[in-house]
Amino acid sequence: MDKSKLKKDVTIVYAVALMGLIVTIIMYIGYFTPEWKKYQSEFKRYVSEKLGEEKAKAIEFGVKQIYVKELNRVDRCITCHMGYEWKGLENAPNPFKTHPKEILDKHPLQKYGCTICHGGQGYALNKEEAHGFIEHWEEPLLGKELEDIYRPPDRKVLLQMNCNICHRYDTLTPGADYINYAKKLVKEKGCRACHKINGRGGVIGPDLTYEGDKAPEQFDYSRIGGYKSVFAWHVAHFKNPKMVSPESIMPEMGFGSREAIALTLLTMSWKKVNLPPEYYPQSYTALADLPTPEEIEKERQMREGEGAFFVNKGCFVCHSISVFGIESAAKIGPDLSNALEDVQSRFGKTLENFIKEPTGTMSIVLGSQIMLTDSEKVQVVELLTKAYEKYRKQQLTSKH
Amino acid sequence: MAEVKVNGKKLTKRSLFWTWAPRSEKEAGDSIVRNLLLHWFPAKVTLKSLSWGYSLWLGTITATLFLILTLTGVVLMFLYVPSVERAYQSVKDIEYVVSFGWFIRAMHRNSAHLMVAFVFLHMVRVFLTGAYKNGIGVGQNRPLNWIVGVILLLITLFLSFTGYLLPWDQLAFWAITVGTNIAKNAPIVGEWIRFVLLGGHEIEQNALIRFYVLHCFFLPAAVLILFSYHMWRIRKDGGLACVDNLVLSQKKEKVKDGMKSKTYSLLGLTAGRTVQVETSLIDEEKYTVNSVPFLIRRIGLVMLGTFVFVVLISLFIHAPLEEPANPNVTPNPAKAPWYFLWLQELVAITTIRIGGFVLNGALVGGILIPGILVILLAIWPYLDKSSNLSTGVWFSKERMRQNIVFLVLCFLVIVLIIIGTYMRGPNWEFYFPWEPWPQLPKKF
Repeated sequence: MDKSKLKKDVTIVYAVALMGLIVTIIMYIGYFTPEWKKYQSEFKRYVSEKLGEEKAKAIEFGVKQIYVKELNRVDRCITCHMGYEWKGLENAPNPFKTHPKEILDKHPLQKYGCTICHGGQGYALNKEEAHGFIEHWEEPLLGKELEDIYRPPDRKVLLQMNCNICHRYDTLTPGADYINYAKKLVKEKGCRACHKINGRGGVIGPDLTYEGDKAPEQFDYSRIGGYKSVFAWHVAHFKNPKMVSPESIMPEMGFGSREAIALTLLTMSWKKVNLPPEYYPQSYTALADLPTPEEIEKERQMREGEGAFFVNKGCFVCHSISVFGIESAAKIGPDLSNALEDVQSRFGKTLENFIKEPTGTMSIVLGSQIMLTDSEKVQVVELLTKAYEKYRKQQLTSKH
Repeated sequence: MAEVKVNGKKLTKRSLFWTWAPRSEKEAGDSIVRNLLLHWFPAKVTLKSLSWGYSLWLGTITATLFLILTLTGVVLMFLYVPSVERAYQSVKDIEYVVSFGWFIRAMHRNSAHLMVAFVFLHMVRVFLTGAYKNGIGVGQNRPLNWIVGVILLLITLFLSFTGYLLPWDQLAFWAITVGTNIAKNAPIVGEWIRFVLLGGHEIEQNALIRFYVLHCFFLPAAVLILFSYHMWRIRKDGGLACVDNLVLSQKKEKVKDGMKSKTYSLLGLTAGRTVQVETSLIDEEKYTVNSVPFLIRRIGLVMLGTFVFVVLISLFIHAPLEEPANPNVTPNPAKAPWYFLWLQELVAITTIRIGGFVLNGALVGGILIPGILVILLAIWPYLDKSSNLSTGVWFSKERMRQNIVFLVLCFLVIVLIIIGTYMRGPNWEFYFPWEPWPQLPKKF
């Protein structure tokens, strides 16, 4: 190397330092012009236009946040959504719009923050990341953007999912129509015959109490077309369980979009959340998700009546036995009241032989779900013979 | 000469500051001796050592990256909370609300990746120039400095690895899971090493605090001590290896009738000649310059350049932060940090499936192969029997074969890393870069 080359170092030092200076300037420009500042000055201008200069003066600039220690959340949404508590901005465009007052009265911001209901990323300070439609953020804003993807029959319903974080033990939650509807369906369709929900229910299907905590990776999407998400999986599964998971014995209930989306919102809301006790609403017995006296009575009759055996074994999940007062929620299989003759005509063998060597679906059910001992098999035949006698009698009386 | 009064004592300006433009050799030497930072360097330095082409300045770049990492790391230490409940949130806050927080974190992350890369490149350079070999000086021990370098490489990897866990997100958690599971397969001690490292059998709070203390104190301290020694040894060994080469070729050229040199000894008790005397150049004026300002300026330039480069890429490449760590959900694919991906790739390749029987490759691919490579690397100077004419020369003919083998191994490691990073999709299946991966499911 030539000594003269070393002299050039001075020039290069200056050139590199100049680059450093330029980068520093770029950094500072970026630092002093964040996205939220634009919204804040726009808000000030909007307020001075609509509500007068005086009011606009009171607006303070800077990052704003709600820290809810109890929920371990920090929500910086109000840095841009500045009008949330202002009077007179009810019809303003977002993000300046006033938040509906009735809900805030019951759910004060200082106690709840924003994201526990709305979803989104409270930490973030720019729109894209705050609304959460980015990689590695699984709780996006439950708003228009998502509804444009999933197209529920009604608008502003996805948000209701999060109402049920606190209201999960209520039967009716004012304002959460979809959740209320889904809870009604859970009762009517008898989901609890197979599934445990909130600690109550059967063991044939998986426990759904914390279904909402399942991660996206834990579902099988191989039979789902289009966008792969937990939400899409549930909707498709509610509409047609067998198509989504062929081994499933869950019956198809003939749900439409509305039902499927409502139930999806409900199941996805069942999460294990560490809520302080005061966050659960005071449940009045009439509202709480508990069986009504009639339901309790019916259940008691089913469990203690003549057909108790079939209830305890779980046969009633698919089969009604009307003569014993047993009503199946799912009604997938035929009524067993006349099984004695029905089995003969369907399978060409006697009930006794069929119970010993079942064919078709029943061979799977009796081989894997409901295991019967020999004496229980005898009992089944006895009981169903008794049921058939009762059935014949009813037939005769009804003919007369 | 100006005088400054400190605590009533008179200090001359000369004793506090050194001159940037020495007017004599003595002043230049003085400037070096007087200053702690400059004390590492000799008063004069050969042009070859200063050139871009010989050393590529990779060691200086690495040291600068370490400096950047220390400075940004100290800032991050004020902001980060090493607890499984708070770690993720504190990193989110660094990203979003701390002034320049995202930028400092990006600089830290990018410098960390670059440091691993540059330590490796520095090692490649030293190997290819045969700079781990002793030349002609007495008291040289370059093989020892090479071993220190190998240890520094391993510590750098471990530093980066321990830092990887700290954000406590899915990326962190599963990379450490993969990494520590590979370590588990070491014979006899594997299980124990993992237990000690994690403070238990699970990656939990104990693991986090251990990684944190290792990352912020023990490993940087180890680097600092070894790095100081590494630098000191360079002087003890008579400077960069290219100097030996220069001296040798000069002497061959000019001293036909034997070497004339002085022997300093303490009352005749010391054997041999000192390094400085032995390696002194015959034609000093032609081949050397004063360290001040030439060496100092070039070091400053390299440091500044490295800094500006890191700043520049940090504007565009941000530090990743995925979902919070969730031990119940394994991302598909789960990958180790990139510099360990060649090991993960080796494990995958050496895992043999014969019917239902699976022979896990973790021992062969994850422990034996890299273990042998590291040991070979460390002892290589003692196996390299080439003459001292190959010291400090790029691609010496004498060392052709070993250079080729070394380069092929480096190339294989790099290829495996590239495959592991860019071409392994879900279930560790192979995808070409232009092939889309199957869409990963989301919650909504």
